[in-house]
Amino acid sequence: MHEPHHPVQASYLRMTAQEITQDVIQRHESPGRQFWMVTSVLAGLLGLGIIGFIILLSKGFEDRNAWGYYATTFAYIFTAAQSAVLISVALRMVKAHWRRPIARISELFAAVGLFTFLLLIPLLWVLPVTTGRRSIWFEWPGHSPHLWDTLALGLLVVCGLALLYFASIPDMAAVRDHATGARQNRYRRMALGWQGSLHQWKKLQVGISLLGGFYFILLIVVHMLISVDFAMSLVPGWKDAIFPAFHAITGFQSAVALTIVTMSILRWKTSLRRYIEADQFWGLSKLLLALSLLWFYFWWSGFFTYWYGRQPAEQSILKFLMFETYKVPFILAFLLCFVTPFVILMWNFVRKTIWGPTLAASIVLVGTFFNAIRFYVPAYSIEDSSLHFLETLPPANTPGGVDILIIIGGIAGAVLVYMLASRVFPIVSTWELKEGLLLQRVRKLMKIQIKVLAKPE
Amino acid sequence: MQERVRLSDAQINRDLLRSIFETPKWYWFLVAFLGLVVLAGFTAAGYMFNQGLGVTGLNRPVMWGFFITNFVFWIGISHAGVMLSAILRLVQAEWRRPATRAAEVLTVFSLMTAMMMPLIHAGRPWRVMYWVFPYDFARGVYPNVRSALVWDPAAVFTYLTSSILFVFIALVPDIAVLRDRTTGWRHVMYSVLSLGWRGSVRQWKLQLIAGILLSAIILPIFVSVHSIVSWDFGTAMSVEGWHSTVFAPYFVIGAVHSGVSAVVTVMIALRWVFKWENYIRMEHLDALAKLLIVVATGWFYFFILEFIFGLYSLEGPEVALREMQVFQMPWTALFITFLLCAYFIPVPMWLIPKVRRSIPLMIFTTILVNIGMWLERFIIIVPGLARKQVFTFTWGGYTPSAVEIVIVIATFALVSMLVLLFAKVFPLIPIGDAKEGMILYDEIKIGKVMVPAVMREE
Repeated sequence: MHEPHHPVQASYLRMTAQEITQDVIQRHESPGRQFWMVTSVLAGLLGLGIIGFIILLSKGFEDRNAWGYYATTFAYIFTAAQSAVLISVALRMVKAHWRRPIARISELFAAVGLFTFLLLIPLLWVLPVTTGRRSIWFEWPGHSPHLWDTLALGLLVVCGLALLYFASIPDMAAVRDHATGARQNRYRRMALGWQGSLHQWKKLQVGISLLGGFYFILLIVVHMLISVDFAMSLVPGWKDAIFPAFHAITGFQSAVALTIVTMSILRWKTSLRRYIEADQFWGLSKLLLALSLLWFYFWWSGFFTYWYGRQPAEQSILKFLMFETYKVPFILAFLLCFVTPFVILMWNFVRKTIWGPTLAASIVLVGTFFNAIRFYVPAYSIEDSSLHFLETLPPANTPGGVDILIIIGGIAGAVLVYMLASRVFPIVSTWELKEGLLLQRVRKLMKIQIKVLAKPE
Repeated sequence: MQERVRLSDAQINRDLLRSIFETPKWYWFLVAFLGLVVLAGFTAAGYMFNQGLGVTGLNRPVMWGFFITNFVFWIGISHAGVMLSAILRLVQAEWRRPATRAAEVLTVFSLMTAMMMPLIHAGRPWRVMYWVFPYDFARGVYPNVRSALVWDPAAVFTYLTSSILFVFIALVPDIAVLRDRTTGWRHVMYSVLSLGWRGSVRQWKLQLIAGILLSAIILPIFVSVHSIVSWDFGTAMSVEGWHSTVFAPYFVIGAVHSGVSAVVTVMIALRWVFKWENYIRMEHLDALAKLLIVVATGWFYFFILEFIFGLYSLEGPEVALREMQVFQMPWTALFITFLLCAYFIPVPMWLIPKVRRSIPLMIFTTILVNIGMWLERFIIIVPGLARKQVFTFTWGGYTPSAVEIVIVIATFALVSMLVLLFAKVFPLIPIGDAKEGMILYDEIKIGKVMVPAVMREE
């Protein structure tokens, strides 16, 4: 057994439950001047995005090609932020103790769902009806895909918010107990009479499990709907059964990356570094490595079947999305989503650092954006989606000034929503940390210190 | 909640070596019965080799039938070994301990059995040498390396080699235990196989590192094997329903679904046969059933993708194939049985905690899964070929003959017999792992109760 690169005992295990509550809530009450400076800058950037959006809107919905980068921005934010909620759901399901300090960090991305939903609305006017073209709806039921996709995303967002709210109730009660005046009243209403009785805890656990499971299923369904209805079905001849699954995998990968980057920023800029330690980076970086490998495997399965088949319809898709028209975003996505994170994270000593996972995660987040470009921009550049297959490839659509404004504004808006949500819900889940205090010990085995984890179920 | 009982090292040795040193009366009867079934299978195969493939139900256009279905099925079962052993070892899941050896051994024997199927299917197995060795360059006769049918044996044999290594590396400390408790020729055999194992710190360290390295190396092989098996189908352009981009992960996760179910069936059988109640406990079945819920649902998702995108472009031949699969008897019955067995009966049952901890129900559900998964392969292979041709008058059908049925049944007897024989020579629960589990077991006092706990190795 080799010497671990980081101490066995997490710093927060040396604190008492009371100290944890006080520490987290104090930070929650006064986030500091820098927080408001950053939110102001983000609001400004969002303003630029809104200007870009208004210019785009003034041109109408007929020119679908103009909406390519808008759709990409929507898909990118959906892919990363909505999947990020799953990190806490999945880690809670497998009862990973190291998730405790970062569960809320990932859950808070549920709030970004509101912004994603707003971004979807204009796209509904851009999306053509399914009559006369391939679609998973087979022209049934009515108003598909517009109505049903909207409902599905709406349901996902509501479910995510419910999960965030539900999992935060004990913390909101803690804020209530430490606050005074209007703030106390507000949190009293939000805490829904939480007293921490056995009955309430049981309800909380069941609620979190059910909402988490439901969110998982909904997310997979929405990934499928968005990837097919807003990308694949617009490209004639693109019949790729693995694409929805690949889309979901890119979502999980970028979700892990997003969580790691958020953790790094919190470590760097706030006093929360004692909660977010090497253990969390190590755990998530293993996931990121596995997902980067899966990214390749899913891409390869799709690519190989097309490439080997040599059918004209499939060859034109490969040329269009990978080897000719959108070669640059494809190569960048391949390098940044698979090659680079794999080369960085294959080393265990790198995975145990803070910088290694952060670097790989930042690269993956950029890669995921190019990955979204290579699907969504081409899909919107095709005028007639009802063709049998792409006989002539449309030219590549490079981003203009308006597109860049929309991309910057969209991403800034998503970050802004996240930051504002962190003002409502404490960004570290204190009740899960306190539960961790009960369930973890550090003991001596022979000559070494070893972590002992309780398995109550 | 864990139901662990504290056991001494001596007790663990006694219990886990029982299968080797004590032979119950029924043992040889069972082996002999299974041997007879295997013999019947070989006789049927011999008859087929003598008479030709005409004695099977194979015909034009359905050239692949029971044999290839069975080949894919056993390759699928073999995926349990790595899924349980390598992945759970890498993630340090404590409940893996009693399941790993059974899973690995099942991998080895099912792979061997799987590889027999194409040989039997070929009708003239002695001609295999012509596929393997390029024998006539002058006439340009050599295996076509561009065909998935050539990659397939390469991947399967790599997997077989690495699985045998994997089993052996994990076995070395247990073989040393056997060496120290045997005399005569058995002592000599175990001495040679234990490679001078003394249990020194360096040896344990090397064994641990080898296990982790092999786990990491075997994972890509495991994924590649069933992916390539899926490309036997996926690269066949002319068969409707086969040329699908989702086939590789769909096959892999389907294999894990059937493989893990088979491991549960085998574990329950071992628990009952060798009275290993203290080792294969309800908490293990519970954890495996939870894993199966996730795997089965993942598999079902890929099934949905495969089906929807089969119909996606609404092309005539594809619609005809799906119509045959779903709406024409006897395929309708098979399709419904497949869905019920592979997903709709077992998964809702596993959601109930009592079912996960019930031995009869777990046996029932895991056998159902494997009936369903066998049918899944059958439903993919035969209707695709039956509707392969463009003209409806060349469409065909398939009914298996008695020869094929006997051979397929014999493969199940063969794998069961080999596992039983293995249990007579080597322990089917890793002794070293069971003892390590005891060392790493702990308890934490929370409030007034003692809660079971595990020590984390890192």
